Amino acid sequence: METATPLDAELRVFEANRERWSREHRGKFVVIQGDAILADFFDEYADAFRAGLARFGVGRSFLVKQIWRTEPVYFIA
Amino acid sequence: MKVPWNPFDWNDRGPCIKVIVRHTDDEIRMGVGLDYPEPVAVTALLDTGAQTTIINSVLATTRKLTMTDANIPARGIGGRCFCDEYACSISFPESDLPPIPTTRILARKFEDENYACLIGRDIMKFWKLQFDGRAKCVIITP
Repeated sequence: METATPLDAELRVFEANRERWSREHRGKFVVIQGDAILADFFDEYADAFRAGLARFGVGRSFLVKQIWRTEPVYFIA
Repeated sequence: MKVPWNPFDWNDRGPCIKVIVRHTDDEIRMGVGLDYPEPVAVTALLDTGAQTTIINSVLATTRKLTMTDANIPARGIGGRCFCDEYACSISFPESDLPPIPTTRILARKFEDENYACLIGRDIMKFWKLQFDGRAKCVIITP
């Protein structure tokens, strides 16, 4: 069951843009903190995380999310 | 690196290695602060059934890793669950395996206390792995 998280605000921003981003930036990573969205989209998670650190610094989480139309489900067995 | 694994012994826990999960090199360079704990090596199972690497959420919170996503759906034999995602670096002490300076890792509470981490195929894709049942070992080559 989904629970409230420190990234709820960022996830709401992501969901509000998911449809458009999945057309324009499918498979790329986006970085969001609060309402602030990095202008660039990234091919690699590591590059997106580094850009988030450079913009937002350490100490408060920011969302780094790969853009898909529907959320992938990981299989862990 | 040769890892003991005895598939003829029902009590064998499977092939395990030591890993250190800590902040990324960039976070350390930027100064994550004195309140952050020293890294410790934990036991990780080589889990070819895991699509991605996952750690016990207790490890993620005690290491104060940076959360980068939440409520990510995952499924396994036990059913469906939701995981959080953290940024980290992973290194492999007592081995010649190169560290991974920045990666994402899932986290959830583990029932099994034998392991704090399941190494999934997202990390194993960087290695050559030989599961040799007759020799009772797994050989990992970078």
